[in-house]
Amino acid sequence: MSWFWNFYEFILSLFWSSEMDITLLGLQNAGKTSLLRVLGGGEFTSDSIPTIGFSMKRVRKGRVNIKCWDLGGQPRFRSMWERYCKGVNAILFIVDSADPATLQIARMEFEALISKPSLEGIPVLVLGNKNDLPDAYDVDSVIDIMNLKAVDDREVSCYSISAKERTNVDAVLSWLVSKAS
Amino acid sequence: MSYKKNEDLDSGPGGAVMDKMTVFQDCIAGFNASPIQPRKCRVLLTKLTYLLSTGDTFARDESTRLFFSITKLFQHKDIALRQMVYLVIKELATSADDVIMVTSSIMKDTTVGSDVVYRPNAIRTLARIIDASTIQAIERLIKTAIVDKHPIVSSAALISSYHLLPVSREVVRRWANETQDTVLAQKVFPQAAYGGAAGGLGIGPAGPASSFMTQYHALGLLYQLRSHDRMALIKMIQQLANAGSAMKSPAAVVMLIRFVARAIDEDRNMRRPLYTLLEGWLKHKSDMVNFEAAKTILEMRDSTDAEASPAINVLQLFLSSPRFVSRFSAIRILNRFAMIRPQNVNVCNIDIEALINDPNRSIATYAITTLLKTGNEASVDRLMKQITGFMNDISDEFKIIVVDAIRSLCLKFPSKQASMLSFLSGVLRDEGGYEFKRAVIEAMFDLIKFVPDSKEDALSYLCEFIEDCEFTKLAVRILHLLGEEGPSTAHPTKYIRYIYNRVVLENAIVRAAAVTALSKFSLIDDASVQESVKVLLTRCLDDPDDEVRDRAAMALRLSATEKPIAKEYLSPESVPSLGALEQQLILYVTGGPDAASIAFDISSVPFISKDQADADQFRAKTMATLPILGGTSLDSGSGAGSGGVSPSKTPANIGEDYAQKYATSLAKIPELQAFGALIRSSRPVQLTESETEYVITGIKHLYKEHLVLQFDVQNTLPDTVLEDVSVIANPSTADDGTEPFVEEFIIAIPRLTQESTGTIYVAFTRPSGEEHAYTGGVFSNILRFTSKEIDPTTGEPEEEGYEDEYQVEDIEIGVADFLVPTYVGNFQHMWDQLSFETSETYNLAGVGSLSEACSSVIDSLSMQPLEGSETPLQNATHVLKLFARTLQGGKVVALVRMAYSAKTGVTLKISARAEDERVAHMVVGGIA
Repeated sequence: MSWFWNFYEFILSLFWSSEMDITLLGLQNAGKTSLLRVLGGGEFTSDSIPTIGFSMKRVRKGRVNIKCWDLGGQPRFRSMWERYCKGVNAILFIVDSADPATLQIARMEFEALISKPSLEGIPVLVLGNKNDLPDAYDVDSVIDIMNLKAVDDREVSCYSISAKERTNVDAVLSWLVSKAS
Repeated sequence: MSYKKNEDLDSGPGGAVMDKMTVFQDCIAGFNASPIQPRKCRVLLTKLTYLLSTGDTFARDESTRLFFSITKLFQHKDIALRQMVYLVIKELATSADDVIMVTSSIMKDTTVGSDVVYRPNAIRTLARIIDASTIQAIERLIKTAIVDKHPIVSSAALISSYHLLPVSREVVRRWANETQDTVLAQKVFPQAAYGGAAGGLGIGPAGPASSFMTQYHALGLLYQLRSHDRMALIKMIQQLANAGSAMKSPAAVVMLIRFVARAIDEDRNMRRPLYTLLEGWLKHKSDMVNFEAAKTILEMRDSTDAEASPAINVLQLFLSSPRFVSRFSAIRILNRFAMIRPQNVNVCNIDIEALINDPNRSIATYAITTLLKTGNEASVDRLMKQITGFMNDISDEFKIIVVDAIRSLCLKFPSKQASMLSFLSGVLRDEGGYEFKRAVIEAMFDLIKFVPDSKEDALSYLCEFIEDCEFTKLAVRILHLLGEEGPSTAHPTKYIRYIYNRVVLENAIVRAAAVTALSKFSLIDDASVQESVKVLLTRCLDDPDDEVRDRAAMALRLSATEKPIAKEYLSPESVPSLGALEQQLILYVTGGPDAASIAFDISSVPFISKDQADADQFRAKTMATLPILGGTSLDSGSGAGSGGVSPSKTPANIGEDYAQKYATSLAKIPELQAFGALIRSSRPVQLTESETEYVITGIKHLYKEHLVLQFDVQNTLPDTVLEDVSVIANPSTADDGTEPFVEEFIIAIPRLTQESTGTIYVAFTRPSGEEHAYTGGVFSNILRFTSKEIDPTTGEPEEEGYEDEYQVEDIEIGVADFLVPTYVGNFQHMWDQLSFETSETYNLAGVGSLSEACSSVIDSLSMQPLEGSETPLQNATHVLKLFARTLQGGKVVALVRMAYSAKTGVTLKISARAEDERVAHMVVGGIA
């Protein structure tokens, strides 16, 4: 009977499975690669090496197959973000909410990114990572600092998460799945 | 996986050739599609590799677009697609921007388990995209891959490290230990394990030979890492050579032999121990290793007869091997060796004779040319007949080898010219490509130039040839030669007809050359000839081509003037040195508007007389036919240099060349400008060992009344700065107590930073007067400087330095500095012409063979060996014939009779004749 079940699964996937692309952006050391590992169900590790260029990983949530493009955050790679954001279903912008020094730069990069005409209308999710650290900003402060209220041409959401503690990680996944076309 | 795809690849549907832009568009569309269709993408990638590998290129932005669309294919679960992606990225890595983007993605694939088929591909690709700033990130990864248990992964990592050397030598150097382990690790893994594992991977059949390839790769890398440190290198060679059975890969042993060859070449002290190793490899079980060892021994500079004979014996055995490739390799090595030491190859003659009728024509060709070199005059005719028999069956490349052999034979046995000439003219009529025809023409040119008796016949053969010659370049050269030589023959009118035929029938370039050749006939002292040349030239004035008309008009005008003037322009005695002329013109053209305001000064270009040009040519010819000794550099490889067509590395020991080289740099120094024109520069001489703290080379420059010693000083210390660097050169006192050379000034180096090179000039007044024209001397040299160490924290040199001196070797001004090697066609004639004769007998006890003695005599006298006498044909006695001109142009000939016996070494008697008694004495005394 196994062939029957296989066939059944196949039929189901034809109608129900969907594929989506997302990109993970943010300055270096914001926690993109770690978050992606946790999203995929892996364990958190603190000693990941900086991403050179990009790396790609698939995450499956229910019937949605998510292709995640994790891009390097160092200045030399930022010019190439746009190339990988074209035509994706959603952009995840991750900031280190416990590091006030980098937040201003993050805001500038963020604004530069969403002003690109080629990326118009793509929904953005801003994540304030590392909220497990003692002096991390809360969600409202991140919204203020990133000036998210000024964005009016697309859907923007903001969560405060911790990849280490898995806080709000499932909420992120649900948000993503809701954007599957 | 089906292989059917290949069919619709080469010639798309309906035989259409693949169009670059269509493929480009298809790729962009195909790779960006979602979801990815692996099969289709693989075909597209294959098309792309096909285009790239057949020479198509994409513009930078196109490559970049392609590259980024390919990155969308990463991490696909189709394994074959992954491999294809890596192959294409490797191709695109050089032409696309921002390839560094894929680093992290590839690194993921390089860290998977070692049984994954695309892991080696990933490693190789990684090396292509990495740059110096990110290489640290992959350091650990490559290190682990090098020592990976799987040979193919290990090989990929080693090869990648090789490619990373230019990116960051420092980082790669840190992998030396892993590499060393890999060289020796082979024995741990038995052969069966390889075959099994590699087969499981699906990467080709891993035969017993290929399974040790990793060792070869590792050894290559290890050499690169150690190449800066000679001691470490020698240690490595000895360690591996004595490891015996650990060296499993014959390819690795062959490479080791090449390292040995280089080590011997660089350090004479290592010769004896390393030779023993080579001798051992002659008995190695792999043929490849035997050949390489034999070749290395035979190519060693001044190998003695005792050393060469085991190698020759091994090759002799291979001559009767049933395998074509063994016979071919053996005869080829012997052929090269026969060029230098024909007498040693004599022992194999019987075996070589048997190869003349070998079914493989290449082997037969080599056999015959070898016999031509080793044989005596008597056998030449018979061999020539043999060659004519199969000349039509062999390829152009081998025809060239034969022709070259004949050419050197002509110079060796001038009396055989008739049969050789008829052979050459015979092959000239055959079909053949440009290179082959050129070789034949060159050979005939040489005959005309160096064997006067053959001139008339050779010229008429050439005339026949240009009647039907499809190569413009060759026709032009022959016409030029006819113009040069024709007027001085017995029946010049004969050639005029041939030349004028060209004016009627050929294209503009040939016509122009023909007109120039024709014009030279107007110089003949015969009114009727002059008149008819004039008529012919007048007809050329109606030519449709400008250049032809111009040349004709100019020739007519000149022939109407007085004879000396016409001669000077139509066939000048000396021509400008072309190399120098080119250099001066480039300087003039790049000089900007200021330089262009004054006319180009032709007088600044040195002129070369015909004699000199001939000598240079002759030397270049004999050099080119000899294989370059000691030139077994690793890059030349085993396939390089077929017989004699490799004139690229011709060692130029001609004073002229060195003077040209240094004239420009010397002219820039204001103090030296007052000395006038540079007469001669010596070749650079090492005054220190090459691995000392300060490496110094000395060069002697002779001016009319001055001598300038140039010292190139290299500071090899990484942490010391030298200041006020000068050389104190003390000339020796003459026998009568006077000091012939008087120091004028020193141009010191004010500051020589670490690991840099500077130049010091020390100028002397040469003893004046005719009687001192050939006075030499010895200069003892001391390097004097203030050395300051560099503070490692600040990078600045310390305030206080200390003065230091450094003794370097002496420079001698001797015979060789006053003589210029010159070629002359007839030695006996020259000998009879000159009057003053002196002679002297010497015993050179330390010299091991006649050829060694010959080269040392030629070197120390700086004279031109004539009639091929620089290579002794017998072991016991030899006569060396030498000719040279003094700097003032006086002639000097020398006849050196030598005898060799194992007990006393070489005994030689030198007799010299010259126009000037002192010159003869100087030459005779110059050997000691």
